Amino acid sequence: MSTTVADLVARALAAFDVLVTTAEPVSDEFQYVTDLTTVWGARLNAVAAARGPEEAPADADAAIDALAAEAARITDPHRAIDWLSTVPQIALAALGEAA
Amino acid sequence: MRFQDAKPDGRAIVYAHIQADPLVARVADLLAVATTVQRVLGRAVMNGESTDPLVWRAMFPTLFGQRAAAAGTPERERSEAILAASLQVADRGEQTRSQFRGAVVEALTERLLAERTNPVRRERRILFDGRPAEIHPYDVTVERDGAAEAWDCKWGARGIKADVIHQLDDARTGAASEGGKLLVGLVVFDARRSCEVRLVRERGPVAIEGIKLIALEGLDRLAGRKPA
Repeated sequence: MSTTVADLVARALAAFDVLVTTAEPVSDEFQYVTDLTTVWGARLNAVAAARGPEEAPADADAAIDALAAEAARITDPHRAIDWLSTVPQIALAALGEAA
Repeated sequence: MRFQDAKPDGRAIVYAHIQADPLVARVADLLAVATTVQRVLGRAVMNGESTDPLVWRAMFPTLFGQRAAAAGTPERERSEAILAASLQVADRGEQTRSQFRGAVVEALTERLLAERTNPVRRERRILFDGRPAEIHPYDVTVERDGAAEAWDCKWGARGIKADVIHQLDDARTGAASEGGKLLVGLVVFDARRSCEVRLVRERGPVAIEGIKLIALEGLDRLAGRKPA
């Protein structure tokens, strides 16, 4: 069964949530993390709404796997916050969307 | 309005060695002519955990996979060179690479501005008659009569803080009070969406319309080009 764009967006959002959890100890940045969750969630969900049932590019599946694994490797909460911008941009690029 | 070299303190002397490292120049040269996705690659690798290039090649199929430019083409070679150089930065250890990343953004900004205008200078203070001098220098300035510019450079959106915004706004209003014009702005090697939410939260009473924001996706604007 082929992977859809919606599947990959859901996995990218799950990777994003992992980073949000890692970032939790930085309480001073709670609002910023919340803001990032809002804007990047909206951007990725817009892709799913527009192209969700579409078959994803074959190499995008492995790209999102690698991205999720990298997000899971990050243990430093400050770096996790930095990666809250990077995960969506890489996911969008893999799906052929503008960063 | 006058520009002046910043007085070197201990931090500046240490940082000058980082700025002069050939790897900083190499990464900046590569990123100056890169596409947006190649710049995202550079940011991810320099800020990542993995040091295995295969991980990054898998993560960026539009640069290294079947959808990428063919091997041997200038675009593909540039992707490979950015990956290799960014891994060298990542390999420097956490504290050093943090300084490297800042120096890379400054050097990149300098190169892009120099494509459009001149003279471009680094680490300069701006003095106004009857006003106390600011302590911190601006990272990159354009010291052109009638078209001066002052830019602060940040690796990530979290570098956008209230004091940075206030200093830029003060410089802009200082120039205006002397009847001059000074374009002020932030160059941030991070996604525009993230920069915008940060800027809105941190701006306080400052009217941010007077401050230019150049994020990762729009870096080519510094050079007067459209994004690649």
